Amino acid sequence: MSDSRVLPGTPPWLRVRIDHRFGRGADGFHLRVSFEARAARTVVFGPSGSGKSSLLRAIAGLLEADAGSIELHGEPVWRRSAHHGGERNLPPENRRVGLVMQSPAVFPHLTVAGNVAFPLRGMEKSKQRERVLRLLQMVEADSLAERRPRELSGGQLQRVAIARTLAAEPRVLLLDEPFSALDANSRLRLSHNLQIWAREYRVPILAVTHNVEEAFASGDEVLTMEDGRVRAQGAPQDVLASERARLLLALGVTPQRQERTADNV
Amino acid sequence: MDTVALWLTLRLALVTTAILLVLGVPLAYWLAFTRSRWRTPVQAVCSLPIVLPPTVLGFYLLVGLGPGTAIGRGIAHLLGHPLAFSFAGLVVGSVLYSLPFAVQPLIAGFAAIDRSMLDAAATLGSGRLDRIRRVVLPLARGSLVTAAVLSFAHTVGEFGVVLMIGGNLPGATRTLSIALYDQVQDFQYAQANRTAIFLLAICLVALTLVYSRQRRGNDLV
Repeated sequence: MSDSRVLPGTPPWLRVRIDHRFGRGADGFHLRVSFEARAARTVVFGPSGSGKSSLLRAIAGLLEADAGSIELHGEPVWRRSAHHGGERNLPPENRRVGLVMQSPAVFPHLTVAGNVAFPLRGMEKSKQRERVLRLLQMVEADSLAERRPRELSGGQLQRVAIARTLAAEPRVLLLDEPFSALDANSRLRLSHNLQIWAREYRVPILAVTHNVEEAFASGDEVLTMEDGRVRAQGAPQDVLASERARLLLALGVTPQRQERTADNV
Repeated sequence: MDTVALWLTLRLALVTTAILLVLGVPLAYWLAFTRSRWRTPVQAVCSLPIVLPPTVLGFYLLVGLGPGTAIGRGIAHLLGHPLAFSFAGLVVGSVLYSLPFAVQPLIAGFAAIDRSMLDAAATLGSGRLDRIRRVVLPLARGSLVTAAVLSFAHTVGEFGVVLMIGGNLPGATRTLSIALYDQVQDFQYAQANRTAIFLLAICLVALTLVYSRQRRGNDLV
């Protein structure tokens, strides 16, 4: 795993500065984040409603924030100042950002194979079939190729959505809790296959989760978010240890008892 | 039955339906997805023909596109004859008069599409036009059929606009509904009955088609 750790001096593949208000007054939500991602796998960890999904939507180009800038692999894809308005806004279809959302959004009018082939328009048919089959094998859904989405379970739909996103050959991959409908074993295998794919194609991943264990297991670097702000960024053991202590404290567990339980384990 | 009037009516309804689908899809798409402040007024104007007496629409078309205006003179120059009392005039009137019957079902169909489908298509590299072609239209195909059928039936059944713009010229502007009016004026009740039953049948078949599609539409996707 050490080969994918952050190397000193690596240029960031993602540079984000976003300032956006949803609604006004007391019901409003203020997303204000600024960070750089260098690690091959960066996990954004935070409670639901902390702005994680909005952050991913903004990077993908589906949400235009009030002000800020986004750079992918050094290329500015969006820039907007509060005073001068939009200066640059590459539309989502030209950003080559793969986004797997929590709701899989599998096209109901196409078969599973048709969905995975959606981004492969213009490719030779036999090549297309081969690519689709390989991706479906990777997410363990090759037996579903000719099925219609309405016949599939939530977990199966998530597998199809992942294969479809990879078919588009994104230059960065954003994952918004894409395994939420899968059982623990499938989740582990799929996450592993995805990491192999990402390493082979040198595609960095930014994944969102509200699960501490998942954040710990799948990230080279962790970024914690709360109330629309980044609270901390760093190695999982550093960032999540304090997060764990804070959570335990919030649950009323004192540090002494915490140590004792640690000894027992 | 007046077969000349029948063919004229069918030709008018087909041409009108085709034009309405071409115009209606982008218009309805805009109305379904825009956040512009022009949305409400535009939608109100598009729905006007539902409540407006057809004679009012016909009157303003006659005046607005007649030889008294620059547009009217331009059209007359292009066509070689004025718009009034011609098939082209009937088409213009029918398109405007049946506009809401094409646009309303399309708006409903487009608005019902899950936005996450469009977001997914965009991040998969599909541009705006490609998204309309490969995601929006296939998902709204039931609404496209409804829009086409209603436009066709409504055009077949129109009377006031045709009479105001087209008058009553056999082979040029005399449609079935006007032939029916003539037949009644001439006390030819047997003929009038045949024309009326035919018009009734077209409308009934059209509506049955629309409603059966809607029922099946529920378990289509």
